Amino acid sequence: MKTKNNTLLYILFITFFAILLPAGYLTGLLSVNTISVWGRYFCFAIAALGIDLIWGYTGILSMCQAFFFCLGSYGIAMHLLLKKTVASGATLPDFMAWNKIDTLPFFWQPFHSFGWSIVLCLLIPAAFAFIVGLVLFRSRIKGVYMAIITQALTLAMWLIFLRNETNLGGTNGITDFNTILGYPLSSSSVKLALYLLSLSMLCAAYYCCYRITHSKFGKVLQAIRDSESRVSYTAYKVTDYKLAVFVVAALLAAVGGMLYLPQTGIITPGRMDVKASVEMVMWVALGGRGNLKGAVIGALLVNFLYSICTSLFPDSWLFILGFLFVITVLYFDKGFMGLGDTIRKKFSATRLKTSQTH
Amino acid sequence: MRNAFLNQLSILLLGATALFSSCNSGAGKTGSSDSSATKGTVKIGVLHSLSGTMAISEVSLKDAVQMAVDEINAKGGVLGKQIEPVIVDPASDWDLFAEKAKELLIDKKVSAVFGCWTSVSRKSVLPVFEQNNGLLFYPVQYEGEECSNSVIYTGATPNQQLIPAAEYLMSEKGGGYKKFYLLGTDYVFPRTANKILKAYLLSKGIPKENIIEEYTPFHHQDYQTIISKVKRFAADGKACILSTINGDSNVPFYKEFANQGLSSATCPIMAFSVAEDELRSMDTEFLVGHLAAWNYFQSNDLPENKKFVTDFKAFCAKKGLPGGDKRVTDDPICWAYTGVYLWAKAAEKAGSFDVSKVRNALYSLDFDSPDGPVKMDPRNHHLAKPVVIGEIKPDGQFDIIWKSGGLVDPQPWSPLTSPDKDCDWVNHNGTYAKK
Amino acid sequence: MRTSLLRMLMCCLLLPLFSAGQDSASIYTAQLLQPPADSVRTQAIGRLAALRIPATFPLLMAINDKKLYLLDNKAVTINSDSSSKGTYQLYSLYPNNTLLINSSGQPLLLPLSALKTVDIPRADRLLLAGIAPLLNLFSNDPQKRILAYSQLKHTSDSITLRILKAALAKESNADALRTGKDALYAIQLYKASSATNANAYIDSIADNWSDNAPALLRDYARSGFLNQETAQYAAAKAVLLEKRYDNLQRVQHFFSGLSLGSILVLIALGLSIVYGLAGIINMAHGEFMMIGAYTTYCTQLLFTKALGIPQTDLFFFFALPFSFLMAGSLGWILERLVIRHLYAKPLESLLATWGVSLILIQTARLLFGDLTAVKTPQLLSGGWQVSPHLTLPYNRIFIIVLAMLMVLFTYLMLYRTRLGLQIRSVTQNRQMSACLGIETRRVASITFFIGSGLAGLAGCAITLIGNVVPDMGQTYIVDSFLVVVTGGVGKLAGTIVSGLGIGFFTKLSESFFQAVYGKVFILMFIMLFMQYKPKGLFPDKGRIAED
Repeated sequence: MKTKNNTLLYILFITFFAILLPAGYLTGLLSVNTISVWGRYFCFAIAALGIDLIWGYTGILSMCQAFFFCLGSYGIAMHLLLKKTVASGATLPDFMAWNKIDTLPFFWQPFHSFGWSIVLCLLIPAAFAFIVGLVLFRSRIKGVYMAIITQALTLAMWLIFLRNETNLGGTNGITDFNTILGYPLSSSSVKLALYLLSLSMLCAAYYCCYRITHSKFGKVLQAIRDSESRVSYTAYKVTDYKLAVFVVAALLAAVGGMLYLPQTGIITPGRMDVKASVEMVMWVALGGRGNLKGAVIGALLVNFLYSICTSLFPDSWLFILGFLFVITVLYFDKGFMGLGDTIRKKFSATRLKTSQTH
Repeated sequence: MRNAFLNQLSILLLGATALFSSCNSGAGKTGSSDSSATKGTVKIGVLHSLSGTMAISEVSLKDAVQMAVDEINAKGGVLGKQIEPVIVDPASDWDLFAEKAKELLIDKKVSAVFGCWTSVSRKSVLPVFEQNNGLLFYPVQYEGEECSNSVIYTGATPNQQLIPAAEYLMSEKGGGYKKFYLLGTDYVFPRTANKILKAYLLSKGIPKENIIEEYTPFHHQDYQTIISKVKRFAADGKACILSTINGDSNVPFYKEFANQGLSSATCPIMAFSVAEDELRSMDTEFLVGHLAAWNYFQSNDLPENKKFVTDFKAFCAKKGLPGGDKRVTDDPICWAYTGVYLWAKAAEKAGSFDVSKVRNALYSLDFDSPDGPVKMDPRNHHLAKPVVIGEIKPDGQFDIIWKSGGLVDPQPWSPLTSPDKDCDWVNHNGTYAKK
Repeated sequence: MRTSLLRMLMCCLLLPLFSAGQDSASIYTAQLLQPPADSVRTQAIGRLAALRIPATFPLLMAINDKKLYLLDNKAVTINSDSSSKGTYQLYSLYPNNTLLINSSGQPLLLPLSALKTVDIPRADRLLLAGIAPLLNLFSNDPQKRILAYSQLKHTSDSITLRILKAALAKESNADALRTGKDALYAIQLYKASSATNANAYIDSIADNWSDNAPALLRDYARSGFLNQETAQYAAAKAVLLEKRYDNLQRVQHFFSGLSLGSILVLIALGLSIVYGLAGIINMAHGEFMMIGAYTTYCTQLLFTKALGIPQTDLFFFFALPFSFLMAGSLGWILERLVIRHLYAKPLESLLATWGVSLILIQTARLLFGDLTAVKTPQLLSGGWQVSPHLTLPYNRIFIIVLAMLMVLFTYLMLYRTRLGLQIRSVTQNRQMSACLGIETRRVASITFFIGSGLAGLAGCAITLIGNVVPDMGQTYIVDSFLVVVTGGVGKLAGTIVSGLGIGFFTKLSESFFQAVYGKVFILMFIMLFMQYKPKGLFPDKGRIAED
């Protein structure tokens, strides 16, 4: 019965996003903007899946997922910018020419090729996560310490990315791209294609995460969440498991970031400041942690609300978001997905009562 | 089964809200062209952060735009149509700026957008405006090196603010300063500004070792180390600071400056990002006597300006905005306000709200702004205007101590740093290489 | 002995000068005040500027500062600050520069409306630009005199030299005197004809030790020196002075580190006890600081607007307890409404308090608009001049003292009271304490009150160095968490050591790198440090089970 109900949910999700929305656009009912806005939310949802793996399933609160997300975005952005620069006949991106740099920094070189860019976008966050994870998990930093250290790490990286000396565009970030793989980014069909690509990547990521959580590996992760010391007493190498899931989460964030960039058209360090990194965790908390569906729905819903509220209630949207966070944490600690269960319990309890009285 | 039902219900709810919003925007799209024809309104977008870190500065610009719109509407609107502002909040989030710009241009079909403050927000929306043939009126002084067909820059270019200020400080009257400490917040405006200033100072024979450049991060609060460096630098009395420090870092900076025993007599600070609106409720005690360079000051005693200032105060009081009649005007407020009028005048001249027609009508357009008559450049989208230097008074106003002779023509590409480039949309296609 | 001789000498030199120019100066002055034509006035000002007669300087300065007025057809000027009633003290200008007094012997006070403004066009005022330094020598403002002295360093004409000496003889401000002597010695050094004389002047410059002395000596050593020997002597003196200056700089850096560290300790103190006791990551802690700062602002408004006590420093000292109470009570309410339900869930508390902080920030923004700032009390502005080259700002000294007092207060509370005992016991083991009859909930809410109150107090203190903006708390929150984590949870000593350590370290690295890299460096260092001390500097000892 459980599988059946899940299947129904998946069918609904796919029907709505893969068929109804594109169809709405093709018939002229929806604007292309709506399509790419949802495409961007899917990228957030991919990153949210990673956060759910590491926080919801393993119990490690990592606040540096926003940084990994940005690493992915920056990689693709560097590639697109180089393509545009070469196409326009210049040797250096505009902002570098203004900063009086005369040769392309070495770390920009590999990003001329699309293939290498993709590889590096995945490799760099993975390697970074591996090193950071190794350092942190080996010294058995966990819980609140882990959250604060990773937050500090993100802060440090944010400060570095803000600098103009790092040749990554400083506060302005990287922006102004023309084409991706030769297709113009401004055309509607490319936007639709990116939307569909994000959607399918989300489905793929969901499937992978689903398999992971239902494998033996996933069970060990949940065991670590519930009692780390007991797992280590039973001769599991806790550090290795944590490290593996940390790298996977970083990869998911990076994939989200890579897809996010061409649909947004800009990446700035603002995507990884303290606010952004807390918000990413918040999506999962609101959706329901330890529940992959919850992570996806949380990411989609919070971002959707953010967009709507900033247009409709410019003055009070912070209140709405703030109260939502507080209330969710206080009353629905399983998030939106848990909300269904809570209601059902109450519902069945009353029904039980009524059936008894009859 | 029950479980399935509930889960379906929740997902359906989600779907329904999504669809609702999408249809909403879709309806807006089809409806706007009708409504603007029948109901006689024309939509403009207002894209200023109302929350987040930039709200401090940008909210005032939203108010100025709103006031200009109200005034124009009271006089009968533009081309017989009432202006309807669509206000959104990009929340100081640069990605959201791009999203909201798309929403305004594609879904809401606005005729022009008035917005942005930071250069990162402008850079973020620039591709959106270029791809969708939008028109952005950008009211803040900026770093130049840009020549977009979709942006009308009503703020100053570097030569309309930086160079006159440096020239003044080097002059006999300004104090004949020989050493310059270029201090800024680390982002693109201070970086470019200092690059231009440095090139200018070097060209005037200031030796390299007499120019120091330094940057602090946003919201930097602790200026102890930097002030002690300045103190040492300023020891022989001919040094001044050219400050592009932004926003809330200014108060700790000026306080530390005064507390370590420096003053405007020994080492004046010429600020390029401190205006009346920021000074409004600051503790100005430590700022008195320091300088700032802009194109407009509230203390300008033109009759147009006196009316503008009283009107703005009355507007804020009437609308119950925070601050009420204690509000002040400053340079960006003046240009945000002027921008709306420029757009309206251009639309009247063009006889249409069509973006390219309005754009063409804007060339050489002149307008009696609160700052006196100003004129759009005949070849690009910048504004020629006067330059003024003021000394901060204890009430947060400026005593105007220097004023340029007439209008200063804009130079989006500084001849000091990009001598081979110029910006021309009439005879060339934007930026072109000079011979 | 030497000075009196000097003064006598100067009087002799100046006397003929005065009498020679006296007659023409009076004529020009009269022309200037009542010119038959504009051109006559221009000429008169030009002539006066060229004559450079000290007696006319006050008059010329008044022209330069646009402060020339007529009172009964006599030229007067006003002092720079008006009295509370908008009246000014008046000074006569020529032939002598004195304070005007009324019949009862009190200074004459008049509003501007009683005076007739003399408008001198800008073009005429520009004629004075050339002798501006000379005019400034006689300014009332010591800062202007310092500027003037330093501008005169390279003159060599004899009239200027005489005027410089005359001004120095009257100099009363220590800083100005130092700069002035510096200028005088420098001129004389360059004129010195014998090596002994030159060395004597070099010694005088070094003894006088103005800010500019090393540069001056180095310049002399490089060019214009008498012979190789004096050049070497000057260079050696310059190096010596630089070394002494560097030592003072070290003291300054130490002080900066101490002050930054105290701020961190002040903020982290409350966070540390709350976090230790309840295991709550209070992301809204920074916002309680913001509340403290706004309370200070409101207190200021209350005193100046409602109670009508302007211009006193009193408000600030009232604001200290007010901000403690205000932030404390709001913290107590927050604990009652939200935190209470989260004691078992430390990570969720992070999210809920983040929501709270969003709400608080937006509320502050709606209530107070945007940027506001608190007026620094007069008592705490300026600095303590330990030596001419070392100024320690009073506001920072105050913060250091406040931090020390608060640490003491917290220590006494934690280790000398019954409440402290209870807090410590709940921190160690909540269940066990409850079993022993401690009302853990009450203890928790009191702790939260104190913790938030301390944050409010920190906010009040921060208004002395920064401004008040709704999201000011966010600037400090990550830093203060780092302090808590580095120091070890709930450990008073840990917080102090790590707060001061991070403060010193930041300032130390800032003197090598730019400010940003200093910060990045600190963060990296802390990460590595945690390798060796994963539970902070002062971890709990014992074998408390981890789960």
